[in-house]
Amino acid sequence: MADQVNGKRRQTAPRGLFRVRRQARLRCAALAAAWLFACACPTAATERLRVVTTTTDLKSLTEAVGGDRVEAINLVPPNLDAEEYQAKPQDAVRLKDARMVVRVGLDFDLWFDRLLTQTALMQPNLGTLRRGGPGHVDASQAIAVLDQRGIGVGPSDGHAHGSGNPHYWLDPRNAEIITGNILDTLARIDPANASYYEANRLAFLARLDTRLKEWEGRLASLQGRPMVAYHNSWAYLARRFRLNFIDLIEPKPGVPPSPARLASLIRTMRERDVRIVVRQPHEPERDAAFLAEKTGAAVVLLAGSVGALPAATDYLSLFDANVDALLAAPKR
Amino acid sequence: MSDALTLLWPPFLVALCLVGIHTYFGIQVLARKVIFVDLALAQIAALGATAAFMLGHPVQGPAAYLYSLGFTLLAAFLLAFTRSWSTRIPQEALIGVIYVVAAAAAILLIDRAPQGAEHLKQILTGNILTSGTSDLSAIVPLYAAIGLVHWLAWSRLAPAPAGHASWLWEFVFYATFGVVVTSSVALAGVLLVFSFLIMPAAVGVLLADGFVRPLGIGWLVGTLASAAGLAASYAFDLPTGATMVCGFGAMLALAGVAHPFRHGDAGSMARGAVRAARWALVAVLVLSAVLLMVAPRADHPVLDAVEHAVPSVRQLYFTAGETETYVEADAYAERYRRQADELNERETRSRAEGQPLDDMVVRRISSFIKSYSEMRRGEEFVKREVRGRARERIRWVLGGIMLLAALAVAPRVLGKLVPFRRSRVGGNP
Repeated sequence: MADQVNGKRRQTAPRGLFRVRRQARLRCAALAAAWLFACACPTAATERLRVVTTTTDLKSLTEAVGGDRVEAINLVPPNLDAEEYQAKPQDAVRLKDARMVVRVGLDFDLWFDRLLTQTALMQPNLGTLRRGGPGHVDASQAIAVLDQRGIGVGPSDGHAHGSGNPHYWLDPRNAEIITGNILDTLARIDPANASYYEANRLAFLARLDTRLKEWEGRLASLQGRPMVAYHNSWAYLARRFRLNFIDLIEPKPGVPPSPARLASLIRTMRERDVRIVVRQPHEPERDAAFLAEKTGAAVVLLAGSVGALPAATDYLSLFDANVDALLAAPKR
Repeated sequence: MSDALTLLWPPFLVALCLVGIHTYFGIQVLARKVIFVDLALAQIAALGATAAFMLGHPVQGPAAYLYSLGFTLLAAFLLAFTRSWSTRIPQEALIGVIYVVAAAAAILLIDRAPQGAEHLKQILTGNILTSGTSDLSAIVPLYAAIGLVHWLAWSRLAPAPAGHASWLWEFVFYATFGVVVTSSVALAGVLLVFSFLIMPAAVGVLLADGFVRPLGIGWLVGTLASAAGLAASYAFDLPTGATMVCGFGAMLALAGVAHPFRHGDAGSMARGAVRAARWALVAVLVLSAVLLMVAPRADHPVLDAVEHAVPSVRQLYFTAGETETYVEADAYAERYRRQADELNERETRSRAEGQPLDDMVVRRISSFIKSYSEMRRGEEFVKREVRGRARERIRWVLGGIMLLAALAVAPRVLGKLVPFRRSRVGGNP
């Protein structure tokens, strides 16, 4: 009876209704295909190996080695002081799918250990990212460290870190060691792409070598010329390009200079004809401007990290921006 | 000396301006019992500058100043409005709320603006040492105008009991105060501006009644403390702001000591002060003695200070062998420190002078410095161990002597413990 009724209904159903149903089925099929495609796409995205770095400089160098098979993200935004960074809840989320982390080391990003420990407590498989784990890269390994003070000697002058000056990425030659450290761990985690990573690194180092010669040539006119910096961030840059930072405005971080020190600094700057006072965008403007006004020097804004100045978009352009800024300062 | 004068006279003139306006506001603030209002207003001004920055204006441009001013006026409105509540809730609580919410909101805004966000810290961390005549030309007319407004409208702006103040004039008070604080904090920093505001005014109020005399005393004290702080920071090579704050604190402490002498019998006050000092010395001696007897190897501030001032004191309780070991370890520690410094100096010089050092040499230098540091730590350990053992040996004797000294110093205690002496002197049988 029911079949008859249904049959009647089927027979009596207008032709347009069939067409509508067929279209609906086609739409459903298209939607299902789109859904499957959408599901497939994130799978393709997660195939890229996720690497979390603390700073923008390490992100840029990781991308140089990893190419398009690595998705690198940095935790500390550009132009923030990475030493004083406070980790946020979203940083733990960023670490969730990471297979490798890269840090500056030398006591520069100590907060990172705590973040990794907390993340590993929530998700035990992330324990591999902790210090000593197979996915943890301390980029400072094998770096020739400057301003070593050692434990117990204390920050009598220069940088506050007992482990040495941590701004080693500002020597472009150190990129060879940093990318070597990154390559070692990438190749261990993802052996199938090891040769790809190695080729990327060699190509990057070749580009860097060409640019380094160019930078050295351009900065030759500044070699040995006395300069003053706000904070001791430029030891590695000075060593590579033979720049002569004769003194610092704030030798002990966080402690403003005393009048006696400022007076002696002004005297020295006048005696030695210092024409350049270097500061980073996040360092106080007033003190550098005061010294410049008293001595007739120019304040030059240099980028200590990728992203600190708009022109410093990656590791190579960081040095381009700094070389341009130094050369743009008035000579006399 | 000429260097010092050249460097210090502009900040001294700036300090005079700050003392002038802030002592007046300080007396008002003390009368209204809103001690921390300057911190809240400074933080609100920083929030305004942060908002301007987020909207794309330069941090130190006129737009940022206008935003700061706008936010400060909003806070002034809130403070004037909530003054009538202070019969139920202390206004300090509301000031605290404004401060923490403004600080937290600024952090949340800064978090969204990574580029140049650190600039914003500068709004709250001025340095009076680097202030100059250009700053004076900005603040002198501003502060003079505000001073004139307050002088002309004194009868309206004088502090009134909570609930009786006119809402409009309260707003004028907080708005002008906010403008002053915003300008001063950018010049001298939060700590120093708070000191300029409260300490000279507190000294004035402590030593005199009314309004004019405390203001005069406050100006005098503020000027003296500023000059002394600036001179001390030059002479002793210390950060200026922190030294000036301590100078203000010392002035207030002196006034606190002097205050009882003005209102009572000077002789009995002097005797009371000597008695208090003796009891303080007794407390220090007893605590040091007990600490020495219980934990001879712990830090002993009194003994350490004495040994630091007169190193030969150690020979009184060290054996000959201990003295020799201590002196030798001290000499080695100094030698290792010097050698590490020389290596560092050599590496630093090589960056720009002479032949550059290659990475291998730099690594060797770094390794040597680490070794010297470790060896120096070893020598420091030897010194501590020798001293610890010597103190362990004499703890009962020296502790006992210190306790006896405490008994001798304590007023009237010795007399009570040895009554027969007094009876003999008094001639009783």
